[in-house]
Amino acid sequence: MTPGQPVLARIRATFDAAGVSGWLHAVDIDRASEVELRADEPVVLASVFKVPLVVAFFRAAEDGRLDPRAPVTVPLAERSGGPTGIAAMLDPVTISLRDLAYLALTVSDNAAADVLADHVGLDNVAETLDALGLHRTRVPLLTRDVAALTREDLDEQRGLVTDPAAVSRLRVLDPLTSNRSTARDCTRLLALIWRDEAAGPASCGAIRRLLSLQVWPHRLASGFPFDDVSVAGKTGTLPTIRNEIGVVEYPDGGRYAVAVFTRSTSTALNLPRADAAIGLAARLAVEHLREQSSD
Amino acid sequence: MDLIAHLRYFIAVAEELHFGRAAARLHMSQPPLSQRIQRLERHFGLRLFDRSARAVNLTGAGQLLLVEARDLVARAAVLDELAGQLRSEGINVLRAGLPPDVPGTTVAALAAEFAARQPAVTLRLQESAPAVQHRALVEQRLDAAVLRLPFDTARLALGPVVQRPLGVLIAGNDPLAGHPELLLSVLAPLALVIFRRSTAPAVFDEILDTCARHGYRPSTVHEVSSTEFGRGLVMAGGAVAFDDGALAPPAGAVWRPVTGQPLAARLATVWPRGRDNPAVHAFAETATVVLQREAGMSVVGPVRPGTALRARPTSEFLPWGAP
Repeated sequence: MTPGQPVLARIRATFDAAGVSGWLHAVDIDRASEVELRADEPVVLASVFKVPLVVAFFRAAEDGRLDPRAPVTVPLAERSGGPTGIAAMLDPVTISLRDLAYLALTVSDNAAADVLADHVGLDNVAETLDALGLHRTRVPLLTRDVAALTREDLDEQRGLVTDPAAVSRLRVLDPLTSNRSTARDCTRLLALIWRDEAAGPASCGAIRRLLSLQVWPHRLASGFPFDDVSVAGKTGTLPTIRNEIGVVEYPDGGRYAVAVFTRSTSTALNLPRADAAIGLAARLAVEHLREQSSD
Repeated sequence: MDLIAHLRYFIAVAEELHFGRAAARLHMSQPPLSQRIQRLERHFGLRLFDRSARAVNLTGAGQLLLVEARDLVARAAVLDELAGQLRSEGINVLRAGLPPDVPGTTVAALAAEFAARQPAVTLRLQESAPAVQHRALVEQRLDAAVLRLPFDTARLALGPVVQRPLGVLIAGNDPLAGHPELLLSVLAPLALVIFRRSTAPAVFDEILDTCARHGYRPSTVHEVSSTEFGRGLVMAGGAVAFDDGALAPPAGAVWRPVTGQPLAARLATVWPRGRDNPAVHAFAETATVVLQREAGMSVVGPVRPGTALRARPTSEFLPWGAP
């Protein structure tokens, strides 16, 4: 246990310097070595919940319960809100279920995720989590539920989203009510996807492709400024909460699942330091795992 | 079986992953420790550890139970502490924290006014560093406090927020001291004296980011732990400190407002979520009234007028969808 101490101190210092509390788990997918910081404490998933949702979708498609190529129409009425993808579009959209999964993972499209979840069913997501041994991960809410709870807690006043007293009342920031997991459960899910064990090999390959197409550069990926290192991941964001889980792959074949969850002291919406701390902490953890494997 | 005691044994073995070391830490010998872990395993009907000749490891079930065990043992400690306090002081005590730099007159007025409102409740006031006070609130070793924003509000509830714009302390013989108020940008040649970042990182960053945005990027930042020492550096010349002006400036220094009031000290009344009662509310109300009257602070509405939020797509989630 003690050899990990210096790296943990550096990771803690990284979170402190960014003004955030942090939870981290990193594991070498092909060996047992790991780095953990509060890795078993419950954390709020925010949009990271879209990963188990998409895994459940691919499992349902494999069983023939859903046709991944079936077109669905997403009308304008009742569409879940958000700044990206179908959630931000102005007209009705007709799209296949698997392309909804693409939008949900690559640009965190809330509307795409909710429509996909309507087809998959949250009971099937729960079943998938149980089948994969992710007992500390629960997904009781869709993004429209999160939005409704937030509106209610903010008394319909959007501007309150950065007010500290209002933020303290948000139920969606409480891991007991919100979509939740632990850093360790998340790296387990990623390792299962990368080992072709979360679903069939073709499905796992498709999920890996979607995670590697994620567009955001500011968190996990910002810690790995190397053209020959790939970063595949999924972010999650709510007021004061910034997360990313993902897999970092080196050209020598080393592959590492990392889950970083943070909660900032400041309620500001834009905190680039906190985003970058996720990448820095992940890199410290991954470099430590790589040093261990070369011993 | 004493469940809490057995959970303590379990946590020690889980942290050491070695029965001998865990026993030493618990000041006991190894055989009774092993017996107690076995008893706990029988109680749960689950194996907590994989024991081989060379190593002890937590089982999957052990890992899951460890989290809850830590939680329960921590809660038991809070329970014991509260019971101890009730034994020695009775039920009518309110443990409340104030920031260390609150003027003495404010502290005295707060104590007097609270006593008038809640004569049956003894107010136990303490001052400590913000980070220490924050932890005490989260762990419910404090019943209420006044804390400088921003701080992590997880597991806490906030009452009214008061603020006072920050001005500048500057040496009286500095040419800038002749101006009735100062733009942040004119401070550029001067060093900044400020509290240590580690005591309140988010407050520190907010101040430095605001300074930079308004054209003040101090070439030297003196982080000091003593307000008095900081005032000394200002009096020595060549440096400024931000100050709410509640106390008279020291001899040889003057206080000047900052044009446009871009900086403010914001204080929130705060208590552990779900633990409010009439005494806590009385403290929050009294503190709000007294900070306004004695320290010249004003209650801030939750939304500052004229500051529209400009969320970026990376925010992923916006409560009302895209703007």
